[in-house]
Amino acid sequence: MKVKKMLVPLSALTLLTSVLAACSNSNHEAKESGPSSSSTSTSTSSTEKKPSGSPVTLTVEIFDRGIQGQPDLNNNTWTRYINEHFGKPNNAVVKFVPVPRSQEVDKLNVLMASGEAPDISFTYDNTTVYRYAKMNGIMQLNDLMAEHGKDLTNYLGEKVLSYGVYNGKQMAIPAKRTSLAWGGMFIRKDWLDKLGLPLPTTRDELYNALVAFRDKNPGGVDGVIPWGLAATGMNYGTGNLVDSFWKAQSEEEFVTGTGWLRPGNKEAMKYLNKLYNEKLISPDFALDKTAKQVDADVTNGKVGFFSANWDYPLRQNISEPLKANVPEANYVPIDTFKNDEGKYKKIAYNENGINIIIPKSSKNAELAIKYLNWMSSPDVLFFLQYGEEGVNHKMNANGIPEVINQTGDNMQTSYLNLDYTLVVNGVELGDPEKNIKALAATAPGLEEVAEQSYKINTTDTYTGFYFDTPNEANIKFGKTLGDLNKQMTDKLISCKPAEFDNLYDKMVAEYMAAGGQAVADESIKIYKAMQANKK
Amino acid sequence: MKAVLDNEDPIQMSRKILRKNGFLHALKRDYLLYGLLLLPIAYLIIFKYAPIYGILMAFQDYNIFQGIGGSEWVGLDVFKFIFHQNSFYRALTNTLVLNLLDLVAGFPAPIILAILLFEIRYVKFKKATQTVLYLPHFLSWIIIGGMVYLIFSSHGMANSLLNGLGLGSIEFLSQKTNWLVMYVIVGIWQNAGWGTILYLAAMTGINRELFEASDIDGCSRLRKIWHITLPGIKHTIIILLILQIGRMVSIGFDRPFVMGNSLVSEYSDVISTFVYRVGIGSGDFSQATAVGLFQSVVGLIFLVTANYIAKKVGEQGIW
Repeated sequence: MKVKKMLVPLSALTLLTSVLAACSNSNHEAKESGPSSSSTSTSTSSTEKKPSGSPVTLTVEIFDRGIQGQPDLNNNTWTRYINEHFGKPNNAVVKFVPVPRSQEVDKLNVLMASGEAPDISFTYDNTTVYRYAKMNGIMQLNDLMAEHGKDLTNYLGEKVLSYGVYNGKQMAIPAKRTSLAWGGMFIRKDWLDKLGLPLPTTRDELYNALVAFRDKNPGGVDGVIPWGLAATGMNYGTGNLVDSFWKAQSEEEFVTGTGWLRPGNKEAMKYLNKLYNEKLISPDFALDKTAKQVDADVTNGKVGFFSANWDYPLRQNISEPLKANVPEANYVPIDTFKNDEGKYKKIAYNENGINIIIPKSSKNAELAIKYLNWMSSPDVLFFLQYGEEGVNHKMNANGIPEVINQTGDNMQTSYLNLDYTLVVNGVELGDPEKNIKALAATAPGLEEVAEQSYKINTTDTYTGFYFDTPNEANIKFGKTLGDLNKQMTDKLISCKPAEFDNLYDKMVAEYMAAGGQAVADESIKIYKAMQANKK
Repeated sequence: MKAVLDNEDPIQMSRKILRKNGFLHALKRDYLLYGLLLLPIAYLIIFKYAPIYGILMAFQDYNIFQGIGGSEWVGLDVFKFIFHQNSFYRALTNTLVLNLLDLVAGFPAPIILAILLFEIRYVKFKKATQTVLYLPHFLSWIIIGGMVYLIFSSHGMANSLLNGLGLGSIEFLSQKTNWLVMYVIVGIWQNAGWGTILYLAAMTGINRELFEASDIDGCSRLRKIWHITLPGIKHTIIILLILQIGRMVSIGFDRPFVMGNSLVSEYSDVISTFVYRVGIGSGDFSQATAVGLFQSVVGLIFLVTANYIAKKVGEQGIW
């Protein structure tokens, strides 16, 4: 009897614990977005107090990249400059709304759904723009651009702007991308020299080099990794190896077909599988979801070859620890995956960058366009990218600005303040030649690597095909297929060689059933319609 | 006797009845207790009942800009779409499998641990052990995931040790079956300690005299555990079992997401990660809601069934 009486408080206790657990969960979530929003309100009030009338608040999205030592994203040299030079004359306060970089689409979806999206929102994901346009949730910008965006229109030009046209209307403003190289491949030249091997220029030469790295361990390191790789989806990848296996196809087949079914694709994956099973690739790459492990391996001098972004070894988080740990390490860019036609075919970026959109819920669309218009002037862009001379940059002998890395208030949380200079992605000195020189100058001591890598990775390139009509199937299945892509790549590289053929066919069939076929069908339809319109 | 009767006129009589049975009077009498109840009730209404309105999204082609009022109704189309997707079935099966494993291996763990703790005589040691056991519960899965990776990856501590002993390395995290075992073990490691709280509370409620009597009769420890401790917490065990069965189709997001990787996605892709992918990732809130609704309905069926069976076999259910 007594025991039975105990049950009531007991079950109450269970309920209570579950409630507590729920509470702590929600607290946790609130915390993630909490500090940023509270800091925004305090900082703006301190920067901008104007006596005449009450200023309008223009909200602008900003990526929070969680960089160590980053300043308050709403109160630093750059935001103060913006508020001083754009805010004051327009009786406005520009307030930045931080969004975590790695969850940009997820967070933007939530902001849009709650009607709290910033006046100037943006995303790198074209599908998301399509989706918002289709749901009639973002503004059509043709008239506003014509009235308030003259400089902006001139700066971006017709070609770039065309990437933001959906169903004949300007729904997004794409940023201008000034450096078009995407991926890059790098090999330890000091190791090759030690082994008396040349810089590889074909797949087989690379293979020999990788085997030699594995067997002879020229760096004398514990656990040499001939080819450093991480789980698919982060910066690391397999470069244009897969492209080099692809057989020639017509444009229609190439841009509308599924990569997995492309002739040669299976052989490419099989080749990677062979390398993995011969212990030439990072053994636990698929577990390395954040690429932290492979970064550590590279900077500890264990990795002979890797493929990542074209500027990866120039980045501070790689170049500095590498120099400290293994001063003799010398990563040089190579082009090694030659296809049957003797070309080093590889993908490069289109000339557009991030897509800027204005949500329907915004009350400041006019001001938003004015803001972007203001930003496209060369002086403003120069300051936002390079800051003050002597503080954020110094001029070298050729009249090229060199970035001085700063911390705290003057720190740039993204490369050349990418996240604040929405209309441009990459150096903008008004001249392509100068831009490349300036790019190289961002990596002191590695200028040559930078120039070479840029040159290699803008040769033999093709760009992603631009469909002017939303692909409904892609909107629906895109994310699922994207995840599947990653899983398939990782699994196929690391499975047992005997299982490869079956696994490949099985997974590709699954992929097609999970939406791959639907996306391809729709792509063909849109492609045909586009060709018909051209005539 | 007569005087007393005279005093009670009919109106007062009826009032007395009202006082005895009426809610208002109960409220007046125990208003402090009811006041205390207000907060939890408000919590339930605001966070549990009000959001039920959102279920409507499952029957709409939900447009995030128009809201529930402005979105188009599509009937059961969303459900049809989901039930035609293979990845949904995979997520569902995985959820059931992982939860079943957790139930089979994870459910007895806190009971055994609680009995062990209960048998400890030295109070200070007992308290210290309990505290240590509770600690993992407060670690976030992100941290646990990092620890697991550091210890069990192919260059991790565990494999270095195995290699050092000449036993060869084991693919703890990239081989599917091994991953399942790791998943369950890590879950037990995190939760077993915390789970003992309820059982220990139930054990302290067991009549001490029973133990004393069994001592006099010369019972061994195991006998006492088997005949006194376990029957004493039987009801708690059953209630927690029913609750856990009710949660069979729902699964936390963090644990499979953090511990999973693409090589074991056949097992690690569960309903919560599916919902995250289609709902938040692709912005298809209709699908996410529909899956959530499906989950709740199936969960409810499981719960009611488990409760019904428990009552049938002569135990006290949760209602």
